[in-house]
Amino acid sequence: MVGSDPHECSQLNELKVDISVLNTISGWHSAGDIIMVEQMPMFGGYAGGAEETAICDVATTLASFVVFNGDIHLDGPIHIRWGTTTTRDTLKVAAHVAAALDYNTDLLLANQYYTMAGPCTEMCLLETAAQAIADTASGRELLSGVASAKGVALDKVTGMEARMLGEASAATCGMEVSTVNEILDRIVSRYEMNFFNAPNGKRYQDCYNVNDATPNNEYLNLYDNVLDILSDCGLGF
Amino acid sequence: MAARRYVDVFEAYDRFTQGQKMPETEWDYNVVPSTAALMKDRYGIQFGDGIVPEDPDLIDNLFLAGVDMLINTGLYNTDLERVMKVEEDEIYEGIKMAPKKLSLGSGKDRCKCKARRGNSSRKPVVQGGPTGAPITEEIFTSLVESYAAEPMVDALVSGVLETVDGHSVITNTPWEIKATMAEIRYVREASANAGRPGLSV
Repeated sequence: MVGSDPHECSQLNELKVDISVLNTISGWHSAGDIIMVEQMPMFGGYAGGAEETAICDVATTLASFVVFNGDIHLDGPIHIRWGTTTTRDTLKVAAHVAAALDYNTDLLLANQYYTMAGPCTEMCLLETAAQAIADTASGRELLSGVASAKGVALDKVTGMEARMLGEASAATCGMEVSTVNEILDRIVSRYEMNFFNAPNGKRYQDCYNVNDATPNNEYLNLYDNVLDILSDCGLGF
Repeated sequence: MAARRYVDVFEAYDRFTQGQKMPETEWDYNVVPSTAALMKDRYGIQFGDGIVPEDPDLIDNLFLAGVDMLINTGLYNTDLERVMKVEEDEIYEGIKMAPKKLSLGSGKDRCKCKARRGNSSRKPVVQGGPTGAPITEEIFTSLVESYAAEPMVDALVSGVLETVDGHSVITNTPWEIKATMAEIRYVREASANAGRPGLSV
C-alpha cells in the first residue's frame, strides 16, 4: 500500500468501536495515510426502522470524520432480513443520509454494493443500476463495488457489474431528482418481488474467459438487454 | 463554547478511558434505539415515497437529528465498555478539518475524489472490485483484472483470498497476514496486466 491508496477499517454496529480499530487508525493517522472508515448500519437492527436507521447513519458518518480522523466514509445500509444494500428501504436510507450530509457539508461520502442476485443475471445488473442511480443523485462522491450474490458466494463477482455501476451513475449525473425517483421506482419494481428466489448467477470462470479477463457473449448479450430495460425505464445511455 | 481543537483518535482513546461505564447490551438495546426514536420525534423525520429526498426541510432536519444523536449518545468502546462524548462545536470543527478532495492512485491512473453538490454533472469515483467477496487463489489476478480493464473504473477495491498457498485463511493467524500481503501483490499485478499500474488499491 502507498500513500495514495485508501486504508480501510470499520466501526461496529451501531456507533461502536473496539481498541484494535483505534490502534489501527492511530498508525495511519500518524503516517498521514488516506483513511476510509466503513460502517454498514442495519435496517431493522438496533436502531429500528428507516428513519431511525438514517439518523443513526448520519451520526455514524459524522463520527468517522470528527472522531476517527477519516478522510472518506464508506456507508452501506444493509437489510437485516436480506443482507443486501439494494432493497427499496435500504436505498431510501442511504439516499436520505447522503443528501442530508451533502446539503450541509463537503464531506467525502462513499457507498458499497451488496446485491441479492449473482453475476450474469438481469436482477443483479438492475439492483446495481438502481443503487448507482440513487447514490449519484443523492450526492455521493465514491461508489464501491459490486459484491454480487451478497459478497459471500465463492467467485461470484465480475467486472461487468462494475461496468453497470459506472454507466448507470454517468447516465444519472445532472438529472432532476424528481425524474430520478420516477426511474428508480420503475427499476426497483422490476426486481424487488424476486428477493425470495433471487438467481445465484454464475461464477467468474463460467461467464468470463479467465485467460484474458473478458466477458463471454452470454454476459455481453444479457448486459445489452439490461441497458434496453433501463432505457425503457427512462435512463438514457 | 468554541472547541479547543478538533478531536483525534488519541483524544478519543483518552475520553473512552474516562467515560461512563456501561454494559454493551444497555447500549445496543436501550441507548441506541431510544435516542434514535427520540430524535425522529424531536426533528419530525418522516420519509415520503421517493427514494431520493426532495424536501429541503426533511434533508436539513435529518442532518440536525444526526448531529444531535451523536452529541447525546457519544460512542461506545466494546473493549473498555465505556462511552465517550463529543461536543457540538467539536463536531463542526471536525467537519471543517476533513478533506474536500483527495487524489487516489498515481501517474496517469490517478483520479480525483472531490466533493460533489447534489446531483452534479460530475460523475462520482467508481471504485471497482469484489468488495471483500471470497475468491479462489488460482483466478484471483484474472478476476481483479476484469475490473481494472473497465474504463468506468477509476480505482480498485480488493476481494478476499479463499486460500493462500493452499492453506485456509483463518482470522488472527499468520496465514491471514500472508493472504493479505498476497492480495495486494495480486491486485497490483492485475492492474498492471490491464495497462493501468497506477490504479489506487
